Amino acid sequence: MVSHRQNNAQRIAALDERAEALGLKPGMGIADARAMYPDVEVIEADPDKDRLLLESLADWCDRFTPLVALDGRDGLFLDISGCAHLFGGEDAMLAEILRRLTHQGFDVRAALASTPGMAWAAARYAKADRNVPAGQEEPALAPMPLAALRLEEKTRIGLESVGLRYVGALIDAPRAPLARRFGRMLVTRLEQALGLVEEAISPRLPVAPLSAERQLAEPIGTTEEIEQLVLILARTLKHDLERRGEGARRLLLSLFRVDGAVARIMVGTSRPQREPLTIAKLFHERLSALEGSLDPGYGFDLLRLSVAVTAPFEVEQTDLAEGVCDEEEEFSLLADRIRARLGEGAVLVPVLSESHLPERRARFAPFGKKAAGQKAVSPQTRPAEKIRPIRLLEKPEPVEASAEVPEGPPLSFRWRRALYRVARAEGPERISSEWWREDKPGPTRDYFRVEDMDGRRYWLYREGFYGEKAAPRWFLHGIFP
Amino acid sequence: MARMAMAQEKVFALRREIAKIEGSLPERLAVPEAGPGSEPVLRRYGRLASGAGFSVAETGAPHLDAALGGGILRAALTEVAGRETRDSGAVTGFALALAAIVSRGGEGGRTARPILWVCLADMLAEAGFPHAPGLEPFFGIAPDKLLLARAGRLEDALWAAEEAARLGSFSATVLELRGNPAKLDLTATRRLHLRAREAGQPVVLIRHSAEPQPTAAPTRLLVSPASSPLRETLAGPLPRSIGPPAFAVTLSKSRTGRNGTFVLDWNSHDFAFQERWPVGERRLVRASGRGAQDPGHLAAASFDGPDFASAARAGLALKPERRRAG
Repeated sequence: MVSHRQNNAQRIAALDERAEALGLKPGMGIADARAMYPDVEVIEADPDKDRLLLESLADWCDRFTPLVALDGRDGLFLDISGCAHLFGGEDAMLAEILRRLTHQGFDVRAALASTPGMAWAAARYAKADRNVPAGQEEPALAPMPLAALRLEEKTRIGLESVGLRYVGALIDAPRAPLARRFGRMLVTRLEQALGLVEEAISPRLPVAPLSAERQLAEPIGTTEEIEQLVLILARTLKHDLERRGEGARRLLLSLFRVDGAVARIMVGTSRPQREPLTIAKLFHERLSALEGSLDPGYGFDLLRLSVAVTAPFEVEQTDLAEGVCDEEEEFSLLADRIRARLGEGAVLVPVLSESHLPERRARFAPFGKKAAGQKAVSPQTRPAEKIRPIRLLEKPEPVEASAEVPEGPPLSFRWRRALYRVARAEGPERISSEWWREDKPGPTRDYFRVEDMDGRRYWLYREGFYGEKAAPRWFLHGIFP
Repeated sequence: MARMAMAQEKVFALRREIAKIEGSLPERLAVPEAGPGSEPVLRRYGRLASGAGFSVAETGAPHLDAALGGGILRAALTEVAGRETRDSGAVTGFALALAAIVSRGGEGGRTARPILWVCLADMLAEAGFPHAPGLEPFFGIAPDKLLLARAGRLEDALWAAEEAARLGSFSATVLELRGNPAKLDLTATRRLHLRAREAGQPVVLIRHSAEPQPTAAPTRLLVSPASSPLRETLAGPLPRSIGPPAFAVTLSKSRTGRNGTFVLDWNSHDFAFQERWPVGERRLVRASGRGAQDPGHLAAASFDGPDFASAARAGLALKPERRRAG
């Protein structure tokens, strides 16, 4: 028995068959139930966990159709248009879904109809026939109670108070007065159930443009077996990609575990790919990076490889003698493999922008992004660079420095607890903050190149001026060779 | 006599066998025919070791080149180590200078290839990100020719470096690490070296604040910072100015077996080193046209610090003021 809090009282939210047999009902106070049967087991309802369970069930249902939508707290919509033949027809599919869910210990009711509304009603209120053929909605719906129409509580009570208890009574009634009195929603729901108005379900996951899957009689668990299957699936996908003239930019591998859990592995590419071996290689890296965190449990019995994002594939004529020998291709392939293994942001390229502030001048961006959009500033158009360090600290680090003359270079400074005595210094190079970019411009910086007694060369700057209210502060920003 | 020759033959055969198993080059130093005094000659399989597949890139510093056996090996792992992390500027600079030298001297078009820089994420936080506007003027690495791979774990970094070295289409692979991790043992360096050799591509291993430990790299250089020479102007050297990058380099492992310490200035126009003087010998040599004979240069030396040789001493890391500071 599951309890929940309603109007400041613990009430029964749901109960199992045995509790039902005792005469308890949902909505009854827990105190009353306890008074009648002191030894009933009461569990506090946990809507979040229920939601998680429903979502994992939805994941599992992905194996039947990619279009799975959540319905309220306790329902799932599966759009099986075009999928039923894969499971031996509609009735067989329905039976299969029910059988497998029952095996997992769920008390499940399912129905199949041409409209989501009808299926919803049939799953909950149909007496015998759970598969409502197209065109048979009206007779099937007529004997059902009004609750089958997914109405609001207020509307339903209103309708019942005027003696309309069954859907059949509404079907033939004129629509306009109904809508006027009980709201537009009632008519919409009725027409949706009857199939007069189209109703779309919103699937949880975007539907991949292409996918290939393989059902396995014997579940697999080892990485090698998964990789082999990925290769086979990628070969299947290749034909479809070729027909569409596209390549994959993002691939999703869904692994359906025997016990219902679903693992999803995403791999991105920096240029469109369709070569099965390449795709298999990428998944090889991803899988070896995941080793340990991917729990095969009792094994996976369904693998699906979907192309989540596609891009036009440019076919290039290859040299007859040389074969494919595109260096760019090689780099992007290596970068993809490194990314698959080390994580999405693992491969970076510097991107220059027109700015005086060193940290804004050059930044690192993930590899592949640049190819899609902006082009780096070409070296020809760049003005002559001032001497710049080869390494720049991510954030300038404050140092304690003492200068001989107020606006002059530092005499010595302490960085990371070590003291450096400055032997020579060059500067200052004044860099003002960019007022046209920032709302609140930062202080002006005076940069100095300094060399300490041992020959280490650093790039320090002083923020602010002497004689101002706030004392100037020194920072170490870069390191010279 | 004949028996001795036979025995030597056998030794060579065995050596070759071992080399085949180990996958390393059987090298030996032969006594040069020209008499003592001249440079040792490196022989491989009885041939002079300057043929194809054994290409070296001259660093521009004659004494260093001689100690290296002609220059930096193109198809090999080269280790560049620094004693402290705060020397990262000098160590990184020297490693990139080597990468620039190696890709400069290659066959046509090699410089156009990118460099892959693999490093551990904590190293970036410690020593900073590579700064593209500084890399180009110093080492000729254009911003679009740099790829940075950031790894969280050493295994991943090693894997990425190996894969890049195997690919062979980068101009160089730089792997940057800190300390003496247990996973970077002889086997790991040997794997890197083999990949580099097979692909004919240099791999430079940067090790910050590392103790010398066994390595399969044929060359290992310990790099410390050195005071830079004064900046040259038309009117002579500019007093108190900071000139081109300078390094104090100790060759601690080389193919020739010769070690030594060198103070090198980096010429970022020719992408070559200029030798100031070999510290061990304590005498000035004319490294290139100007410089050593230049009075300004000498003045700079005495001005900058007590002694250039001290820059390469191990005691450098423990100067009194640092001990106080720590």
